[in-house]
Amino acid sequence: MVQCSASLDGTFGALSDQTRRGILERLGRGEASITELADKFAMTLTGMKKHVSILEDAGLLTTEKVGRVRSCKLGPRRLQDEAAWINAYQQMLNEQFDHLEAFLERTKGNE
Amino acid sequence: MMDQAISTPGRALLSTVGERGFRLERIFNAKRERVWRAMTEPELIAQWWGRGNRLVIERFEFERGGHWRFVEHSDHGVHGFEGRYREIVPVERIVSSFEWDGMPAHVAIQTMTLEQLADGRTKLISSALFHTAAERDGMMHSGMEGGANLSYEALDRVLAALG
Repeated sequence: MVQCSASLDGTFGALSDQTRRGILERLGRGEASITELADKFAMTLTGMKKHVSILEDAGLLTTEKVGRVRSCKLGPRRLQDEAAWINAYQQMLNEQFDHLEAFLERTKGNE
Repeated sequence: MMDQAISTPGRALLSTVGERGFRLERIFNAKRERVWRAMTEPELIAQWWGRGNRLVIERFEFERGGHWRFVEHSDHGVHGFEGRYREIVPVERIVSSFEWDGMPAHVAIQTMTLEQLADGRTKLISSALFHTAAERDGMMHSGMEGGANLSYEALDRVLAALG
């Protein structure tokens, strides 16, 4: 449960930034290197690496080093922007119902 | 019309409805009035809605057309959710819009319906309607890949059973 919440927070956190949503949209059309992404979004390499690492932690993208180039593609969850949001929403409902269930259990007989 | 239905032990039943919706069913071991109170009294909502995170209920105008705005505060950040109530039928049904601050104007219409079961438990049916089938399908697929509720194996079994 705790793990699930952390991953959900990760998803919300990752998606709360417009650049990161743009990166997912771009990767939905195919792989790109960090350099290409930095160029596209007019950012420094360091700035882009930070965004990529947040998305990677959330499982939304994966990176692979091929020669001297680090290539990015959509992660195991293969989520893009809106789809990721809907997924997070559905996970959220499930988690809320877990907590509602626990709440109803612990307040049983209180009335 | 239900296209797929996959039961996951101890959790929710998730299915797609028509082209643009999904629905989750869950049975709670409590009478309908208790579940309704937990869902409609702010001091009770605050104890579960935030999923363990601190919840600040910024607005709660529980009437048709009224606004609601709930904000979760966790170590990972602050997330606001809000919407307006479209329909409220006491002890039975709440229909509202649902938006997350991070994706403004991506609005889902959610319906929560409570059914009293003969054995004293309550079935909560939560359905959500999205604006495009693509959004809904993305959710279903990602749900399957993430394994949160579904698995390809379970889907295969259901589809096989349907012939």
